[in-house]
Amino acid sequence: MKRKTVSLGLAASAAVIVAAWGLLAAGLIPLWAAETAIVIAFPALVIFLGLWWRAPGGEEDIPFIGY
Amino acid sequence: MIEYLAFAAIFGLLLLGLHRKVIARVQTRPGPPVWQEILHALKFSFKSTWVPKTASATLYVGVVLVGIGIWSAALFIVLAGESILILFAIYMLHKVVEHGFGLSSGSPYGKFGGVRSVISAASEIPLFVTIAAIYLFTGSLLLSDITAYQAVHGPFLLIAPPVAIAMYLVILSKMPYGPFSIVESKELVSGYKTEHFGVWRAGISVIDGLKTFVLLYAFVAIFIGAVPFSLALVIMTVILVSLSFVCAVTPMLSPFDSVTIQGLITGAMLAYVGYLWWVMP
Repeated sequence: MKRKTVSLGLAASAAVIVAAWGLLAAGLIPLWAAETAIVIAFPALVIFLGLWWRAPGGEEDIPFIGY
Repeated sequence: MIEYLAFAAIFGLLLLGLHRKVIARVQTRPGPPVWQEILHALKFSFKSTWVPKTASATLYVGVVLVGIGIWSAALFIVLAGESILILFAIYMLHKVVEHGFGLSSGSPYGKFGGVRSVISAASEIPLFVTIAAIYLFTGSLLLSDITAYQAVHGPFLLIAPPVAIAMYLVILSKMPYGPFSIVESKELVSGYKTEHFGVWRAGISVIDGLKTFVLLYAFVAIFIGAVPFSLALVIMTVILVSLSFVCAVTPMLSPFDSVTIQGLITGAMLAYVGYLWWVMP
């Protein structure tokens, strides 16, 4: 995945979490709506964060599938 | 709320590190430091990452996202005192996630791990017995109602100890290095996790951390009741250490024996719930 795509994904997932947090604190959305948004965005945040700072290199390979 | 998720994942990984440490000490080995699982997660996240040629890319990546998502939802359900039926439905979804991990990679080790995950579904059946037994007492499956019931009548650990034992065995079946850990046993390298490396494996660490925290916290809430959060953390740690002792002194069972024993436990629990149903007004 391209670095730019990963950065955009990271920013988007972080933005959803911050928005859910802020809107809940302001009383504009109910708790369940904020939790739903975070349940969807948090996995993406974890994966995009990892992909963002991972070591470069590596190509597709075929795992060991037996003799 | 993101702070709850971060705390649960980190504390859960610390518990898994403690689990390895206790097992090692019981087996007279020095063992890794307690924070080893956190270091593992960080280490994997910094490694080169790609999708193997043999993998189904969508499923291969998707199961990691789904796994983190379902245990995030489970944490919110437990903290909000919602229905344990939803919590255990999520627990069953984890079975699908394990299966997806194994089958998506194209590695035979992963596939065998996924297949073992399916045949070990017997370990989940005591959950339904737990739900049925608790409903017989409380007439409700809301965690908030269950803790309220215990505030009046005392902890379920004393009211219905066999049900607590059943739930304890369910948690034991999900602990690594335990007698029922056939889905990630060493003859399969790492079982269903084998071909998920780098960032994907870091995601699995987050899943494991959240899962450990949620299951232990749910056990405390269901069988001990509403306690201060700090005390709940202490009780969770004590329960985990007891699980570690069991894992340290028990060999891993063969898949057939594992399923047989879990089936026998389920049968005994069904008999107990039948007895409760018979004697209760």
